[in-house]
Amino acid sequence: MKKMMYMAATAAAALAIAGCGSDDGSDGTTAAAGETSVSDAWARVTTPTQTTGAAYMTIESPGGDTLTAASVPSSVAGEAQLHEATGEEPMDSGGSMDSTAPMGSGEGMMGMREVDHVVIPADGTLTLEPGGYHIMLLDLVKPIEPGATIPVTLELEKAGEIEVDATAEE
Amino acid sequence: MFDRVVRRPRMRSLARVPAVVLPVMILIAASGCGSGGVGDELNGMTRTPPTEVGRVALPDESPGGGGRQTRLRGEEDGLMLVYFGYTFCPDVCPTTLADLGVALGELPEEQARRVKVGMVTVDPERDTPKALNGYLGHFFAPGRFASFRTTDDDELARAESAFGASSKLGKADRHGNYEVAHTAQVFAVDGTGQVLVEWPFGTPSEDIRSDLERLLGDGGIGSA
Ligand SMILES: [Cu+2]
Repeated sequence: MKKMMYMAATAAAALAIAGCGSDDGSDGTTAAAGETSVSDAWARVTTPTQTTGAAYMTIESPGGDTLTAASVPSSVAGEAQLHEATGEEPMDSGGSMDSTAPMGSGEGMMGMREVDHVVIPADGTLTLEPGGYHIMLLDLVKPIEPGATIPVTLELEKAGEIEVDATAEE
Repeated sequence: MFDRVVRRPRMRSLARVPAVVLPVMILIAASGCGSGGVGDELNGMTRTPPTEVGRVALPDESPGGGGRQTRLRGEEDGLMLVYFGYTFCPDVCPTTLADLGVALGELPEEQARRVKVGMVTVDPERDTPKALNGYLGHFFAPGRFASFRTTDDDELARAESAFGASSKLGKADRHGNYEVAHTAQVFAVDGTGQVLVEWPFGTPSEDIRSDLERLLGDGGIGSA
């Protein structure tokens, strides 16, 4: 039970960080190259048998930019890819959705796919988050443990390379 | 019958609902009048009539399950939260399971102990019993989860179909990694095998917790 409560608390913290957007970078790592900044970088903790992981962050780029690649040291994972979750949109929070209709084609089916690049809009902010975009880590060399730091190198069309430290969270 | 990639058809659920029922269901939906039951106040999705999964059973490879055929439903006064997923899924699955863990951690213990999480692997080839148990043990206390795994494709497809769920293996990349698209909601099944509520991916843990409290509290299941 104790473990469950602890997990609950840390997971809640991770979700809070992931959800808080870019108003305050103090919870995450911030790196800057010119006007581009990255905040709230985190990677999900994995269990010993998992060989894949995911990293998330918020990239702010006034004027817009394009994320073209991400990489991690070979001591962390065999490969990093830009991924997009596919399928159902997250449901609006709150409110009751009384669905009496039968399930249609692939309702609620979710998957993911590799994408070639991710556009950061001109006015904006790109948030990589669960159920949206993530940096997929393949062939993990070892599990991502709580508190670990995963160095991620982002490649942006205009800003060039940006190094970020993603903190492992539940 | 199907080749490897499309061996589990995506759409089956329509076939479960007799055609004559459809207009009635649509009428009920349009008039907005529910049955007046607890479903009206739940955050998740409810269906009329509820999906029945009471006969579905799969081997439970958790330490307590011992590989025995086990029904995917709650104890008499409880719920099983059934999720179809796989441990190589780094994004959607752990997000959902972490949310469930938070919701259960915030329930009163009297209610939490009546809830079990049952994950059905849609990737039995890579998800060994050990991998499944290690993965679920990361989110839930021992004895509070079931690790459903069958290597019989048809048995898995029948279980999915009963829930209106489905999954589809993707093509392997150059490293032999493949991903599995799968139904992402969580099904709350009572002791009679009725799906009382479904939470789609992204349902906040707070909404799940309050639904569970409503279902397990006074006037809910297990109360005389
Ligand atoms: Cu991915």
